[in-house]
Amino acid sequence: MRMTKLRADVQALLFLLPFLVVYLLFTIYPMIKGVQMSFYKWTLIKKIKYVGWQNYENMFKDNDFWASIWHSTIFVLLTTPTMIVLAIALALIANRNSRLQKLYRSVFFVPSILSVAVVSFLGLFIFQPYTGFLNSLLHLIQALPQGKEIFWLTETNLAWIAVGAITLWWTVGFNFILYLSAMQDIPDDIYEAARLDGATDSQTFWQITLPLLNPITKTITMLQIIASFKVFLQIYIITGGGPLDQTRSVIQYIWQTGFRKNNLGYAATMSYMLFFILLVLSALQYWMNNRKEAQLR
Amino acid sequence: MKWLYRIVSLIAAVVFLVPLVWMLVVSIKQEGMKIVTLVDWFTPPYSFGVYGQVIRETKLMNWVWNSFFVAVVITILTVVMAAMAGFAMSKMPFRYKTFMFFVILAGLLIPGEAVIIPLYQTAKDLHILNTYSGLIFPMLASPIAVIILKSFFDGVPNDLIESVQIDGGGTWRIFMNIMLPLTRPAVASMLILTFIGSWNNFLWPFLSVTDDKLFTLPMGIPTLMNQYSTDYVKPMVINTISSLPIIILFLIFERQIVKGISLSGIKG
Repeated sequence: MRMTKLRADVQALLFLLPFLVVYLLFTIYPMIKGVQMSFYKWTLIKKIKYVGWQNYENMFKDNDFWASIWHSTIFVLLTTPTMIVLAIALALIANRNSRLQKLYRSVFFVPSILSVAVVSFLGLFIFQPYTGFLNSLLHLIQALPQGKEIFWLTETNLAWIAVGAITLWWTVGFNFILYLSAMQDIPDDIYEAARLDGATDSQTFWQITLPLLNPITKTITMLQIIASFKVFLQIYIITGGGPLDQTRSVIQYIWQTGFRKNNLGYAATMSYMLFFILLVLSALQYWMNNRKEAQLR
Repeated sequence: MKWLYRIVSLIAAVVFLVPLVWMLVVSIKQEGMKIVTLVDWFTPPYSFGVYGQVIRETKLMNWVWNSFFVAVVITILTVVMAAMAGFAMSKMPFRYKTFMFFVILAGLLIPGEAVIIPLYQTAKDLHILNTYSGLIFPMLASPIAVIILKSFFDGVPNDLIESVQIDGGGTWRIFMNIMLPLTRPAVASMLILTFIGSWNNFLWPFLSVTDDKLFTLPMGIPTLMNQYSTDYVKPMVINTISSLPIIILFLIFERQIVKGISLSGIKG
């Protein structure tokens, strides 16, 4: 009996081993290594010297770091609500149109599979003044007088709109699919009953569809907040973090500190702050989900 | 009301397609054409000349191949490893299983971006920076795939497993002949989503590779774009060549992709 138990352990371990090796080596070990690095002056070439809590003290005094945290937060605040409204609207369009549903689904989803680099450059060319698509379109329909240009990428507020719009176009597809499948899970008899009771389309939407989508909305909101907080490349390519670092995201700042200013130790320290923020957000999501289940019981 | 709804739907669809159509149309223009109004982008003459030029003069096709090769290897290894681990977690009795489950679950809370700096140092210590191994191995551990596949394996009835065992079948045979075939839709969705994720992965290749022979598309594209700023034809050709493989894949596997997203949303 003892022997078979040992055999079962060994067998399970063999099946777990390939995953465990890469997981421990490339996720758990770096996690611990990062703690060590955050207490050192550490360059791209080598470990220089132990500096104690110096990196942490610097971080709390580093205005550029907190500004970058704020910029990522702005991006979250800008994209999360718009993302949800847009995803629901698109799902309604696809859901109600039974004949062309597949076509609409493909059209709304296809940008999501594009590479972030492709999307970023498309965004850059769309919002470019003089030669960009959007200003040319505005000239064509005479919404913008000839000879006048909107400088989308060099005014902070407009730059946020440009980056937010291109991100919505790129990533709304995933959330759209989640909403669409949630809408299709709502049984038809509920709508049928509402129709017999004389409910209008908008009443049906506000009082039946939307409340039934509530659980998926909560999930999407949290996932979206976490994903948006990790924004990097589309801002970096479209605005370069400018004007005057006004749109620089926290990941961009960590990368610049580590790889451009040759300070991996401090970059690791800031990564920990980022990790801590994301952990709090995840915990919040977990707590909200559990509360939701508790209510259902 | 019905017409209003149809018009809004149509406008939404057009807005979503326009950037892609623009990309395709500009990519088949000739370089140096005078663009006075928006309409000039869409009118002939068309030519595929710049495609040949980009393919000949840049490393773009090399990067398409790198992206493809790296993504295929990552996809197969990730899903095989995750399926094996998920199978052990679902159907095999062993000691410290609860502890193991928490270790894997903890991985869901660790965002890749937050360990990327020490990961760079780890890869450097292992001397795998600037190699294919360096692009591939650090990207293989996917705790979320383990958890999702485990939940699908949980749904496979134990009677089936016992009947194979009575026939003298080993654990590996149960895994290959029962578990994988019975959960094929989930495994397929996992494969295709991992592939797309890897094809589009940017941050790690960007940090771990400096040799342009090893570039993948997302990091290669920006280095090319910096050379052309006035004319959009070459950039759009680059964008189109980079996007076509994944768009074709999407058209073939749309059903699995959509299914995979719905599944991950439920678990998420």
